[in-house]
Amino acid sequence: MLAWQILIDGFAIGSLYALGATGFTLIFGVSGVLNLSHGAIMVAAAVAAWALAGLAGAGPWAAALGGIAIGVALATLTYFVTVRPIQRSPRVAEAEKEIFILTATLLWGIIISEAIAYLFTNNAKTVLPIVEGVVGWFGVRTPANEYFTAAVCWIAIGLLWLLVNRTRHGKALLAASMNPRGVTLLGIELSRIHLAVWLIYGVLASVAGILLGMFLGVSSYSVGPLTASAFSIVVLGGLGSVSGSLIAAYVVGYLETATAYLISPAYRTIPALLLLVVVMYLRPQGLFGRR
Amino acid sequence: MLEVEQLTKRFGGLVAVKNLGFSVRGGEILGLIGPNGSGKSTAMRCVMGVDAPTAGAVRFEGRDIAGLPSHKVSRLGVGLVFQHSRPLNRQTVLENIKVALIPDRLGMLLHSAEIDDRARAIAERVGLGAVLDRKPPTLAFADLRRMELAKAIAQHPKLVLVDEPFAGLTATEVAAFSELIAEFRAEGRAVLLVDHNVKSVAALVDRAVAMYLGEKIAEGTAAEVMRDETVRRVYLGGALVRAARDAAPAAHGAPLLEVRDVEVRYGKALAVQGVSLHVREGEFVALVGLNGAGKTTLFNAISGLVRHSGEVRWAGAPLAGLTPAAIARGGIVQCPETRELFGDMTVRENLELGGHRLEPTALAERLDWLFDLFPILRERTGQVARTLSGGEQQMLAIARALMMEPRLLILDEPTLGLAPVILETLSNALHRLRGSTRLTVLLGEQNVTFALPHADRLYVIDHGRLAWEGEPDRFETEAADAYL
Amino acid sequence: MAPPSWLRSRPVVAGLVILALGACVPLVGSGYVLGLLTVAFYTAVFAMAWDLLFGFAGEVNFGPTFLIGLGAYTAGILDARLAPNVSLWLCVLAGAAAAVIGGVVLALPALRVRGPYFGLTTLVAVLMLQNMVVVFADLTGGEIGLSVPDVMSVSATANYWIAFGFMAVSGAILYGLSRSPIGLVLQASGQDPVQAGALGFNVTKHKLFAFVVSAFFSGLAGALMVFYMGTASVGTFVDISVGVQIIVAAVLGGRRTVIGAAIGAVFLIAMGEALRPLGELATLIVSLLALLVVLFFPDGILGMLQGRSRRD
Repeated sequence: MLAWQILIDGFAIGSLYALGATGFTLIFGVSGVLNLSHGAIMVAAAVAAWALAGLAGAGPWAAALGGIAIGVALATLTYFVTVRPIQRSPRVAEAEKEIFILTATLLWGIIISEAIAYLFTNNAKTVLPIVEGVVGWFGVRTPANEYFTAAVCWIAIGLLWLLVNRTRHGKALLAASMNPRGVTLLGIELSRIHLAVWLIYGVLASVAGILLGMFLGVSSYSVGPLTASAFSIVVLGGLGSVSGSLIAAYVVGYLETATAYLISPAYRTIPALLLLVVVMYLRPQGLFGRR
Repeated sequence: MLEVEQLTKRFGGLVAVKNLGFSVRGGEILGLIGPNGSGKSTAMRCVMGVDAPTAGAVRFEGRDIAGLPSHKVSRLGVGLVFQHSRPLNRQTVLENIKVALIPDRLGMLLHSAEIDDRARAIAERVGLGAVLDRKPPTLAFADLRRMELAKAIAQHPKLVLVDEPFAGLTATEVAAFSELIAEFRAEGRAVLLVDHNVKSVAALVDRAVAMYLGEKIAEGTAAEVMRDETVRRVYLGGALVRAARDAAPAAHGAPLLEVRDVEVRYGKALAVQGVSLHVREGEFVALVGLNGAGKTTLFNAISGLVRHSGEVRWAGAPLAGLTPAAIARGGIVQCPETRELFGDMTVRENLELGGHRLEPTALAERLDWLFDLFPILRERTGQVARTLSGGEQQMLAIARALMMEPRLLILDEPTLGLAPVILETLSNALHRLRGSTRLTVLLGEQNVTFALPHADRLYVIDHGRLAWEGEPDRFETEAADAYL
Repeated sequence: MAPPSWLRSRPVVAGLVILALGACVPLVGSGYVLGLLTVAFYTAVFAMAWDLLFGFAGEVNFGPTFLIGLGAYTAGILDARLAPNVSLWLCVLAGAAAAVIGGVVLALPALRVRGPYFGLTTLVAVLMLQNMVVVFADLTGGEIGLSVPDVMSVSATANYWIAFGFMAVSGAILYGLSRSPIGLVLQASGQDPVQAGALGFNVTKHKLFAFVVSAFFSGLAGALMVFYMGTASVGTFVDISVGVQIIVAAVLGGRRTVIGAAIGAVFLIAMGEALRPLGELATLIVSLLALLVVLFFPDGILGMLQGRSRRD
């Protein structure tokens, strides 16, 4: 029974992590940016959904869509406010741009998180679940929400895969991650590609955030750990490798779940961090990293 | 003093240097020459320890140094002058030189007067005495190069490695630098020069080794190497054969592409100077010049990829203010020297991306036409671009550019690094293109023999300037001798 | 001997002005102001140590609080466990030593990787430390914090002078290092490791040295601050937001000037206090201002004073 519980819970958490990590990797692959305001965007979307449901009386679907809209808006703002100005700035040396962007996104994340705390307090909030009730599959009583979460995550990842591998525009994105100059030579504006990537990222991060909000609840305190786990996963899997991120997401998800059930919830994050440390010592480019 | 034997360097699947062997004695200057991609810079970096050789031996004064980290090689008595100046921009010239003199100990907490004096002496010697207290961003290009020389010789190395010593310098500056390098020889040091242009180093070197595709193809005095058959064939495409040329379409009317007085600077270096040329619709214009003469820079200026002064007009309107992607959409499509393929995508995906603006039926038609032109691509549709051979990659790059239905196709050194057999295929494809379409082509090539049969008109570019212009017939009589 | 032109350089002048002002504060300031500035001075040392590593060795340490936290908690735990058998100053030294060891352990994998991986490695270190503190709560006081029985002094003025003196001495040493031949080599290693290698420098060795120096001062300052505050907690010494504050202070003051980092730290803490009446908005506004500085004034305060807005 416990084994099934761990399997199911771990799968749900892993799926959430996978969705978030995929978005994170997408931004890194195409825009070259490690977005440290990732957690803030996730939480903002979730809190927006919560606020729309609780304060404006919207139904769960409408609130979720509203939350996604807010998340996408914030993600796009992140690009225009922190990333683009620095990338184009003549006053920062090329070699330092990465560091400045990292710092700027970190600060931006703090700003968003503080704004959330100020406007809505930092109490934990649960987003109105779209799917309610409990099911008894595999002999374990689990909230139906968990299955819903995993399903939505995989549908989203699947759609993304379809977009990138099967549509013309998606392939342009993929091409831009391989060779930005090649894409320019073919008459495709890189600025449009960047915008598209951040929009898509906004959707992915928002969905992940809202699902998390339905599943476990969020608060402004979740921001740091969420960003931390996203980049831990991405580093573990290998920066720039989407398949690596997916696998690493489940590894981390299961490690955390197993630890929480078998040892103690307080130590949830330790084994994953230890694994990360070991990987950094032995194989700093991650399991599947190539850059 | 320096002996290199069977030096091989592999980067993943790419073999940059293969079984290279040469030696340099004290009091001698050896020139290692070859076009881009010949492996000469890689060989130099292997000697210095910046890259570790995959195989082979590098012996300095009898001691094997292959694989040692660069700081150890440096302390053994080898100095390297990098191709691109790398100054510490926040420090003065004097401080930059002092860095080269500081010993590799952690305990140096106080500035020493001795180091200060030695730095000044070195600066005087290379001609930097007047600018010691200035910072690199304010210096002229030649002075930055002098500073690089100063840093390299600060430790009195027994072997000096110089990468592309004269790139970006004016004639007088070249003379001054040559003198400085000749002084090293006079002092009994061994000097290894790396350059892509035999002509410019011919006067300075005692011996030369010519490289192509990572291997040595000739060795001897500079004059011997320049006359060597293999060298001429590989660098120039061999003897200039008058081949049957396509009937040139009537070339009148306003030029399609007009370049007026374009100048491009990379930092301080003047890469392209006062270049004006034009191309009419339907013409095939070749811009010939050795590696590093400025062809790529000029093409990048036309395509909007680098900033430039002067004007570029396309179909009567200036291109200023357009993004590079907009210029490409406007009909000027470049197939660059580096090809810029999407390595992890298949041949078909690369081509389809090229045709991203076409409707599905038009796309299919165009693909068919291109597969007809380059049959080998049809066979390899599903293959990942990275795994194609050099010739196949070049064909894919050209085909992809053609998918964009360009009015002007700019081809930058398509034959670079390709085996002669492939050149024929490429040449045939170009013939067919000219015969069946009104495509206008601007070809940049070092290989004159490849360019001549196709060209309606020829420009010769040398050191960033246009040196000659005219019809191919006149080229042989007027310009050919001066070319190599 | 080097000519005294260095005495007239902007950073030194700014530093001397700050010191002169700082020396006057106890004459006019209240206990509250003294306390605030004491914390600011310790933060200044954190920031200066960070600047040495970043500005000179070219490595962005996203987790300076790893080193600070190691120093603070080691000193705190030793004192809490072993007092009154052990002198407070011994604990401080132990804290500094722990930070140095931690710095070396962190540097080994970190220096083998480039670019974003280095920053991420340092961030991971902070997370590890944070988790360890929470997990071993009986030793460290967990999220509540650790109280230490000893303090350096109960007099606000005495504490002020200790912090002030420490900052002045550390600043002098760190700045002197940055201007010495070693500093020059560190600059070269940071800006252009390939060239530095070709000039005969073992770049790894020098970066490790910078790491050790940065760790020493960070750990020492952290340990001293524990004995000023009387407690150690994750929120003051380990949290990522503290690390961000340090980075922002150094950037605000002017990267690669060492003294600028100190100015930035004092400015930031003073501003944080000034905005306290705004309550929860304070952090938000400070972060917003910091973001504006990063975007529009990347050269920082000292950079602006030097009229430098050109790219290097």
